[in-house]
Amino acid sequence: MKKTLILLAASAALAFGGEQFSMSDADRAMYAEMLESNPAEMFVAGGADLLEEHCGGDAGLAKFLDVSEEKLPEYIAGFPRYVKKLEGVVALDQVLQALMAQNKQKPFALKSAEMFAMSAYAKSIANDVEINIDVTANAPMKKAYALGKEVYETKRGGRGLACLSCHSSDVIGSILRTQPLPDLGDAESNSGGTWPAYRMTKSSLTTIQKRFQGCMQNALLAVIPLGSEEMVALEVYITNLGKGNAIAIPGLKR
Amino acid sequence: MGKVKSLIKIKPNKYNTGDIVKVDFMVMHPMETGMRTDKQTGKLVPADYINEVKFFFNDALITNMSVWETVSTNPVFTINFKVPSEGTLKVVFKDNKGSTNEQSTKIKPKG
Amino acid sequence: MQRRSFIKGFGVVLAASAVVPVTMMAEEAKKAPVQSPNKMNIDSAIKAITGGKALVPSSKIEFKAPEIAENGAVVPVKITVESPMTKDDYVKAIHILAKKNGNVRCTDIFLTPANGTAHFATRIKLGETQDILVIAQMSDGTFLSATQNVKVTIGGCG
Ligand code: HEC
Repeated sequence: MKKTLILLAASAALAFGGEQFSMSDADRAMYAEMLESNPAEMFVAGGADLLEEHCGGDAGLAKFLDVSEEKLPEYIAGFPRYVKKLEGVVALDQVLQALMAQNKQKPFALKSAEMFAMSAYAKSIANDVEINIDVTANAPMKKAYALGKEVYETKRGGRGLACLSCHSSDVIGSILRTQPLPDLGDAESNSGGTWPAYRMTKSSLTTIQKRFQGCMQNALLAVIPLGSEEMVALEVYITNLGKGNAIAIPGLKR
Repeated sequence: MGKVKSLIKIKPNKYNTGDIVKVDFMVMHPMETGMRTDKQTGKLVPADYINEVKFFFNDALITNMSVWETVSTNPVFTINFKVPSEGTLKVVFKDNKGSTNEQSTKIKPKG
Repeated sequence: MQRRSFIKGFGVVLAASAVVPVTMMAEEAKKAPVQSPNKMNIDSAIKAITGGKALVPSSKIEFKAPEIAENGAVVPVKITVESPMTKDDYVKAIHILAKKNGNVRCTDIFLTPANGTAHFATRIKLGETQDILVIAQMSDGTFLSATQNVKVTIGGCG
């Protein structure tokens, strides 16, 4: 009953299925093939240089996180996670900020191109490893997950939409302005494992939290700041939807 | 000014002499058309695009491209190449403002 | 740490300001289009390539582009021309022309037998729905062609 109501609200506000033409499978395959030559690889290569210069490379990151370099990929595949040293649940970019600060450098802003590139490289260390976020690992993770779920499901803004209005299982696949609504947790979208990704509409590398902000702007929801408790919680919730998917950085998105 | 960031990728990773491999050349470049207005200043952003890309193997020209501003931002160019021997694949690229950059990679066939 | 709750309360006010960019874009679209600095129409571009010789539509060109492009700024194109690529018989050049762009020319690729296969792929910008013309210049002096229409849609969310 509740689900139907949400769907009704969404379709009234957005007129799903106005112009119902979308790409064929052949077209989609062609776009998927572009992943093989992803311009974001240049950004990630730049990110590796930045990590080396500002954080002592993979070794510096492993040391800061108190894990061996060998265990680093597995560990990174569990972000966002509770990091004791930082007294909270954090995303990878916040770890890099803390590491830069420890190294007596002015940390890159969360919304800077440098941070996008560096965090993309850092996450790519976990490429091919399955997402292993554990939302029951400890009290802070449980709390973050609950808050993330709340943010995801709370209707707000002028149109009374929640993330769930457009990303729940009953509307996935419906066409909204030529774009099928993606299943954030499935292996195809793999939202938890493919961001930072290159966005072709922006011709640049973007993080998942920036992508959330894009949806917020489009759906007229007040935009939640990067790195805020709510934003990290949302990343926890959405990453958990795709637990078990392999990490593949950088992604390539429309 | 720093070097323009670019990357050459050879696929597959392992190949033999005589194999035809795929060569991706990508470069970080705005590819400004000269038709876009800057939202802040309200002025036209001048055209700024890669206009020439040359692929060399051991200094012999294998492919030459004329490129226009109608190619997408951060362009990727893909060609094929039949591996004749070990050597160096070099890409020299220019933009309409007259600057030249290059990137190269080693070609190392397994057999 | 000082913090506010971002999901309750101040949603509506900020939401209103988010509408502004959309209106600005509409204003932008109303202005007269700026001309390409390299403006060239399709007839002149074809003539410059062929010198007036006939174009022969040919199935030897395998030309792939999406029927519907989800974003006109990044449209993948992929071309393979059937050819032995030997010294005596090879594809000299592959030209890509977007018929309705201000400057119809996209790329001119000059190949050699060293390529092994006559293959080229890139991504181009399309201002509107239009035909893309591919011309393959063969070593025997003939010009083969292939065309595909690409529909450009306005993107979805974000
Ligand atoms: C108005 C409907 C709508 C709402 C509300 C909405 N989204 Fe989206 N979202 C979309 C559409 C449509 C796409 C895919 C469009 C595209 O390909 O650009 C998308 C894409 C995404 C993606 C990228 C998927 C990928 O490929 O990895 C993420 C992540 C996402 N949304 C998260 C959210 C979050 C978090 C919220 C709530 C703050 C939200 N969305 C609210 C419509 C919506």
